[in-house]
Amino acid sequence: MNPAMKTPFVRTAIAAVLLSAGGAHADPAGIDAATAQKMEQQIERLSQELEEMKTQLKQLKAQNEALATQQQQQAAQVQQAVAAAPQQGGISPDLSLWGYGEVYYTHPQHDPALSQADLARAVFGIGYHFDDRTVFNSEFEVEHAVSSASDKGEFEVEQFYVDHQLADWAAVKGGLFLMPFGLLNEHHEPTNFYGVQRNFVETLIIPSTWREGGFGFHGDTSIGIGWDVGLTTGLNLGNWNFTPENPLYRTALELEDTNVAPMQATHQELQLADAQHLSQYVSLNYKGVPGLLAGAALFTGNTAVPNTPPGLPDERVTLWETHARWTPGAADLSAVYARGTISDTAAYNIANAGTPNPIPSKFWGYYLQGAYTVWRHNGYRLAPFVRWERYDMGASYDIAAGTAPVPTGLAADGKPWPQPYDRVWTYGANFYLNPHVVLKADYQSFQTNSDFTRFDLGLGLNF
Amino acid sequence: MTPSSRLLLLPFAAVAVCAPAHAMVYLSVEEAQKLMFGDQALTPLPLSLSPQQVAAVEKDAGVKFFPGSLRAWKGADGYFFVDAVIGKHDLITYAVALGQDGKVRQVEILEYREAYGGDVRNPRWRKQFTGKQHGDPLHLGEDIQGISGATLSCEHVTDGIRRLLSVYDIAIRPR
Repeated sequence: MNPAMKTPFVRTAIAAVLLSAGGAHADPAGIDAATAQKMEQQIERLSQELEEMKTQLKQLKAQNEALATQQQQQAAQVQQAVAAAPQQGGISPDLSLWGYGEVYYTHPQHDPALSQADLARAVFGIGYHFDDRTVFNSEFEVEHAVSSASDKGEFEVEQFYVDHQLADWAAVKGGLFLMPFGLLNEHHEPTNFYGVQRNFVETLIIPSTWREGGFGFHGDTSIGIGWDVGLTTGLNLGNWNFTPENPLYRTALELEDTNVAPMQATHQELQLADAQHLSQYVSLNYKGVPGLLAGAALFTGNTAVPNTPPGLPDERVTLWETHARWTPGAADLSAVYARGTISDTAAYNIANAGTPNPIPSKFWGYYLQGAYTVWRHNGYRLAPFVRWERYDMGASYDIAAGTAPVPTGLAADGKPWPQPYDRVWTYGANFYLNPHVVLKADYQSFQTNSDFTRFDLGLGLNF
Repeated sequence: MTPSSRLLLLPFAAVAVCAPAHAMVYLSVEEAQKLMFGDQALTPLPLSLSPQQVAAVEKDAGVKFFPGSLRAWKGADGYFFVDAVIGKHDLITYAVALGQDGKVRQVEILEYREAYGGDVRNPRWRKQFTGKQHGDPLHLGEDIQGISGATLSCEHVTDGIRRLLSVYDIAIRPR
């Protein structure tokens, strides 16, 4: 209602009230002149007071509006200040620090004397934003806790690259970076995989943590296709050890740790790497449906070969894999198939005929895994899992006729040589204290190298 | 062409693709407001939560809440929020539009600073939040599906939206 209209209405109402009040005592017709005059004066005074109140009200309203405006301005200023303020603590908002690591306990069931505990890896990362489009990432890793010439540990640069965003859909990276293969290699932090140790397919067939030096272009399209293509250093078969005195591994832990697999043994990790021979890779992933990931990747390139014996032909290493992961609700289902070949190995193998560890020409593996979150409370999460995997690091060999790829007799330690293939069941559970800290337990049963069957405990973290 | 000379060509190819360059800021706050509320006037909403309210938000959402990163505006038919969460290592800035009924209308990623894991920008992923309101579980792996390879980003944006809905319920919702 318009305030100007209020006064006559209020005045009439008050007059009506006063009149009716008077009526309680006397007949309205019998009001004498003095009373009427008195009432008139009262009404006049009341209306004056009302006018004053109205003015005061107007002033109050104006004040109120001014205050509201001021408050809004302040809120806007606060928001601007919040927006402008560096939103990250620490040394510099452009610097990021992170880390991850894992501790294992492994207990081979048939030979408890070989039980081991290991700070398998402690990794710390440093990143820096040069500007909104250019970021540097690096990771430094200590394996097995102590690294020196007389210790088993290693200190490694795991990643060291610059990434520059070219457009919404494309970026270019250069340096030492992780290869986009399988489900694990680029996401190898212990909170990202089930089981105490990484699975065998993504350790022995796809090496992990697999990185190469070079350039790559990558990006994501709006329909959820991720792509990555590049040119990198490749493998060096000169690193191959044909003549281990003893089997390179006696336990499953050693199998994963001692770089016995074809690509594990020969990848160069940008350590004065041969760069005369370069490799190409391409990877495609579909992530357009929430909860689903499906992809494949291919890597191929000629490898470096040693000068002795002279005249060895170039050997080409090709690895391809396909993977899928589906996480409907509490379930987490995944599968990886990977297959690699090394061409023209015959001359090199024949030059080393009779040695216990020839170079394979084919290797492959696959796994199927299912996990289910059975309990979740206050950030805790318990997810049991089961995994079936098959791997064969030596599916085929081009070797001298009549020789065996794996020695048939006993090794120097008096035991048979382990076979480079197996079928493994893994049962276990990941127990997350929060998304960043995980306790793990599993039992692994090996069908061929049954001595490897083991029970493991693990602690992993990632921040 | 030898492999090494191919390698040398790569930087040139990079520069050639560089032309339509766009920063990793995908939307500005103003662009997101326009996208979500058109030409509606949005008035900044002062968020001065008492320590008790902050504690209530943390208890309700189950995640830490540092008031300061969250900003709010009120429009004629809803609310507009801008908030930031850590993705894997760096901040993700995102905007959320709520209807007057307190239900999520839209989620947009404004800024993503990391080289990888930017799949939270995927429209189908963000669409999972549409219609969600305070009281819904809003947990990754329950009513929100993650994206493999971007789990932490998905988890943290989900946590952020759950927290934002708690703030709305505790400090903003008209009663």
